[in-house]
Amino acid sequence: MKQESTYTIVDHLFREEYGKVVSYLTYRYGTSQLEGIEDATQEAFLRAMKAWGYGKIPNNPTAWLLRVANNQMIDQFRKAKKFQNSETPQPYLDQASEASGEVTFSETISDSQLKMIFACCHPSLSTEYQIILSLKLIGGFHNKEIAEALLKKEEAVAKAFTRAKRRLQQEIKTLESPVAMGLQSRRIVVFRVIYLLFSEGYAATQGKQAMKRDICYEAIRLALLLHENPYTHHPNLDALIALMCFHVARFDARIDQEGGLVVLEHHDRSKYDRKLISIGVRHLEASDSTTQKLSNYHLEAAVSYYHCIAPTFQETDWASILKLYDLQLKQVHSPVVALNRVIPVLKVEGPVNAMKALEHYRNLKGFKEHGLYYAIKAEVEKEAGNIQKSKVALEKAIAMAQNEAEKLHLQKKLQALTS
Amino acid sequence: MSNFLFLFRGGDESFSKLSQEEKQAHMQVWQTWMGGLQEKGHLVDGEPLSGEGKVVRDRGEVITNGPFAEGSEMVGGYLIITADNLEHAVEISKGCPIFDYEGSTTEVRPIVSMGEH
Repeated sequence: MKQESTYTIVDHLFREEYGKVVSYLTYRYGTSQLEGIEDATQEAFLRAMKAWGYGKIPNNPTAWLLRVANNQMIDQFRKAKKFQNSETPQPYLDQASEASGEVTFSETISDSQLKMIFACCHPSLSTEYQIILSLKLIGGFHNKEIAEALLKKEEAVAKAFTRAKRRLQQEIKTLESPVAMGLQSRRIVVFRVIYLLFSEGYAATQGKQAMKRDICYEAIRLALLLHENPYTHHPNLDALIALMCFHVARFDARIDQEGGLVVLEHHDRSKYDRKLISIGVRHLEASDSTTQKLSNYHLEAAVSYYHCIAPTFQETDWASILKLYDLQLKQVHSPVVALNRVIPVLKVEGPVNAMKALEHYRNLKGFKEHGLYYAIKAEVEKEAGNIQKSKVALEKAIAMAQNEAEKLHLQKKLQALTS
Repeated sequence: MSNFLFLFRGGDESFSKLSQEEKQAHMQVWQTWMGGLQEKGHLVDGEPLSGEGKVVRDRGEVITNGPFAEGSEMVGGYLIITADNLEHAVEISKGCPIFDYEGSTTEVRPIVSMGEH
C-alpha cells in the first residue's frame, strides 16, 4: 500500500485550489460574504469537473477557477440587487493585470491564503473552531472527509463548521495582512494550530487512515506556505516542519496490512521514508538559532529524528532521547511528557528508576488514571520481572483503551505474558 | 462507419454532493474514457456546455431561460463519435462515466450524412 510520499507531489489539485479560490474571494469581498463565496467556489469546481474532463486541465487552473467563481459572485450580487445603486464589482482581474504575468498573480494568491490562515487561527477562536475552519476553508476538505478522519458524525462536523464560521464573521471582517498585525504572537498561535491539526491527523485512532494522512499532509502544506513567506519565517517553523516530516516518514511502518497499529518496537524500518527524513533533517538544521531558545517543536523533532535513524528498536539512542525529555520538562512541565519520559528512563537506567519516575508521576497534582499510564506501568513491571503486576496493569489499560486498535494491541501483549 | 451524437444529461444533483477529491476523480475517469475513445479512433469531437443559455421562440419574440432549468433536463456536454452502427454507438456510450451518477442519461443520435443521401 505504498503511497506517494513526498508532500508536494501528492495530487490534491481540486482540494488545494479550493482553498486558494475561497481565500482570494474572502480577501476581496470580506468574511460577511463567506456563504456566497463557498457556493460560488463549489459551482466553479462543478464546471471545472465537467469541462476539464473533456480535455486537458488549463495551464493556470487557479485563474480559470477564479474567473468562473468571481463571475458567480457578481451574478449573486446582481440577483440580490445589493449593488443596484452602486457599482457592480468588476471581474477579479482586468485584461491588463492578467497580462502582467504569473508572478504577481501567484503572489496575490499565496498572500491571500496566508491571510486566510491567520484569520482561521485568530486567537479569539477556540482550538476546535481554528482546526475546522482551517480544514474547510483552506484545506478544501469535505464534511464527510473530516468526519471520517476525526471519527465524528458528518452532521456534527457541519454544525461545528457553521458555528465556527459565524464566530469568524463576528471577529474578523476583512482579511488583514499578517505584517500589519502584531505578528510575533499571532505567528506562534498559527504554528500551534498547525501542530494540533497535524496531531489530529496523526493520532492513532480508528479514523480512515488515508484521510488522516491527508490531514497530516495538509498541515505540512500550510507550514510550507508560511515558510515561503519572509514575514512568517521562523526557526520554530522549521523545527515544526522537521517534526512533521519525521512522523510522516514512519507512517507506512505504523500501520499493518489489516489497518492495525504497529508499535515502534515492531516497525519494519525499511518502510521508513528516507526522502522525507532527509527533508526533515534539512529543516531541523535550518531551525538552528543562536538567539532563540529551543522550542518544544525542536525537542520533539529531535526525539522523532532519533527514532527515524535507529537501525533497530534495540539500537535506539535512548540516552539522547532521555536528555531531550529532560530538557523539555525543564522548559515547561507537562504531565504527558513526564509520563512518556518513563520509557527512555526504563531503557537507559532500568526498571528501578523507571518505577520511581512512575511513582513521581502518580504523585503529581491533578493525576488522573488513564490507559497510557497503565500501559507504561505494565511495561516497567514486566522489565522488573513482576509478571503478575504487569498483567493487572495491562488489564486496566485494556479497560481504559480509547479505541479498538489500541485495545487489540494491548490484548496481544497480555496474551504474550500469559503464555 | 457513421457519426453519432452523444448528449449527456443530468447528474447535477449528485455532482454537487461530491467532495473535492471525488470531483477530481470523476474528472480523471472522464479524461481516461475520452482518451480511450481517441486511441481507438472513435472520437471526432466534443465539448462541455455551460449551464447558462436561452431558448428563443417565435423569431425572438419569446426568449426564455429554457426548458432545461431542471438539472435532469440540462445537457452538460456532447460528443461526436464514429461507430459501425447505432448498436455499436450505444455499446460505446455504456462506458461513459456519467452513469456512475443517479439520474443521468446519454442520448445517442445518428448524424445524417448529407453526402450519402
